Amino acid sequence: MNSNPSPSNSSRFEGCTLTGALSVLTEVRDAVCIVHGPSGCVHHNFSLLHATLLANDRLEVPRLLSTGLTENDIIFGGEEALEEAIARGLSLSPAPAAVFVLSTCIVETIGDDTEAVCAKARGVPVIAVPTAGFLGGVFETGVKNALSAVASLARPAPAAEKTLSANLVGEKNLEYGVDENAAEIARLLSRLGIGINLRFVRGIGTEDVGRLGSAAVNVLREPALRPVGEDLRRRFNTPYVDSFPAGLAGTRRFLEEAGRVCGIDASAAVEEERAYQAEMLSRFSEIAGSRVCFRSPHPMLETDPDAVAVCTECTEALNLTVDPDGAAIPFPYPAPVGTAGTRRMLHRWSVLIRGKERK
Amino acid sequence: MKQIALYGKGGIGKSTTAANLSAALAGEGLDILQIGCDPKHDSTRMLMHGAWIPTVLDLIRERGDASITVDDVVYRGFGGVRCVEAGGPEPGIGCAGRGIIATFQLLERLEALKGDIIIYDVLGDVVCGGFAMPMREGYAQEVYLVTSGELMSLYAANNIAKAITRLSRRARSRCTLGGVICNAKNIEGERDLVEEFARRINSRLIAYVPRDRTVQIAELNRQTVIEYAPESDQAAVYRDLARAIRGNETTSIPTPLEMDELESFALEFVQV
Repeated sequence: MNSNPSPSNSSRFEGCTLTGALSVLTEVRDAVCIVHGPSGCVHHNFSLLHATLLANDRLEVPRLLSTGLTENDIIFGGEEALEEAIARGLSLSPAPAAVFVLSTCIVETIGDDTEAVCAKARGVPVIAVPTAGFLGGVFETGVKNALSAVASLARPAPAAEKTLSANLVGEKNLEYGVDENAAEIARLLSRLGIGINLRFVRGIGTEDVGRLGSAAVNVLREPALRPVGEDLRRRFNTPYVDSFPAGLAGTRRFLEEAGRVCGIDASAAVEEERAYQAEMLSRFSEIAGSRVCFRSPHPMLETDPDAVAVCTECTEALNLTVDPDGAAIPFPYPAPVGTAGTRRMLHRWSVLIRGKERK
Repeated sequence: MKQIALYGKGGIGKSTTAANLSAALAGEGLDILQIGCDPKHDSTRMLMHGAWIPTVLDLIRERGDASITVDDVVYRGFGGVRCVEAGGPEPGIGCAGRGIIATFQLLERLEALKGDIIIYDVLGDVVCGGFAMPMREGYAQEVYLVTSGELMSLYAANNIAKAITRLSRRARSRCTLGGVICNAKNIEGERDLVEEFARRINSRLIAYVPRDRTVQIAELNRQTVIEYAPESDQAAVYRDLARAIRGNETTSIPTPLEMDELESFALEFVQV
């Protein structure tokens, strides 16, 4: 039987396994995703993904198809409808380089054998991704299952030739500032001479997945992706750093960690970054010594401990005073990534502090 | 209109009992509808003289449900008994339980659920919500458990009693236990055993149907006993059953046994 890993704030952290998987799989741009279930399971995901693309100024339409199951398919079995949808997907123009087939709650309930249908030879990889949420999965489970499914497009090569480069693994494609965060990791790694090999998965093609194994290090977006990091270590013998960095000290630790994993002395890079951070902080001298009052980001959200740590760190660095009458500042959500994320956060603080002063 | 459902372990003789019950009730001049709720779709076959009538779900699969009429799904068999078979998906695929629900919705829409008595003949175990459909939403108000004296048969009957107890708590459901029918395997002391079982689950033995070769011979001739051997003792047994059920006004909410209770109870009656 399943067990549902229930964090305290379920409305934010649980969610649909299917949505989690689609947030990854639709970023393989030359693939088609087929959702095996009633058409509604596609519709709300399509809307979400489309809106997110538009919010990021990308005039694209996610390539999603539904098997559009109705009651009769449930009674008599939906495998034929899946066959037809796969054929429809393969006949699209331009032809997809890969097809991902995602299951839903209802098809797992009636026991449709999605994997068996996908296993037929069709000349193009057709990959089944288990995404029925009622089996205990949450959004994050979908992300993990999808990353493993995409990884299966690359030939396992534990002895693959490594280049001094990194994969960004499991970027949160629905999060605000996802490209800024990736750029920040690229900037940090470049201090160590490490380039970006592959954004796994964001804005890539099926063929790109072939070089997944050639990075020297996988940088996971967050520690929850450790099982994916382990999976990639088994498949390609690639070590991983388990999270994008949060805050200033966290960013310097990240450089040390990435250096250690790649066998590079990071001390010079850490000192360069420290100076860069000091310079960044100096631009906020005008708010130094102000009074602030931190608030929960939203009544429905629990505060992220990383975010609290970053706020404490910046409060000390800028000599701010925490006072109930101070400028109301929400804890950031999620915690800011790298020095650049911290700078953007401090910019918001300065707007709030000056706004309060003008009153 | 009285609506009853027969439940019991697979192979215990529900369909034989149901068909003979329908035939006997029709003989009293009543308008009877028998609905087979089992993908095996063999409930009404003896009433139809061996013919396999088209099932509701076969028709839905082939034509969609929009154009189906009452005449496509209801067939008149022996004694004017109207026969329906729900049918189901191919074995090993899809969801037969949902099929039963769809069948009921269609019959409801076609206004086919009418007559003096409707008899629902349901597959062996209440494996899911779909197969509990005849007990739900006010369809069958009386459930009759068909069982022999064998432990596994009593076990299945006890499980069905659990379903009745659960469903009887619902506001929309008027489902109760009408009684226990012992379809005998000719085990020693079988009648006493089943009678005591019925008492312990807060019900009563409403009929004892002895094992009789006439049943097999009638089936080989693709007929119910009522039709094939109307003068036989066995036909009289089924007519008694029909009268008992028709006149039954005593129903109950069952008190199913725990597994260990059931086992120790069965042990009491076994001759060691």
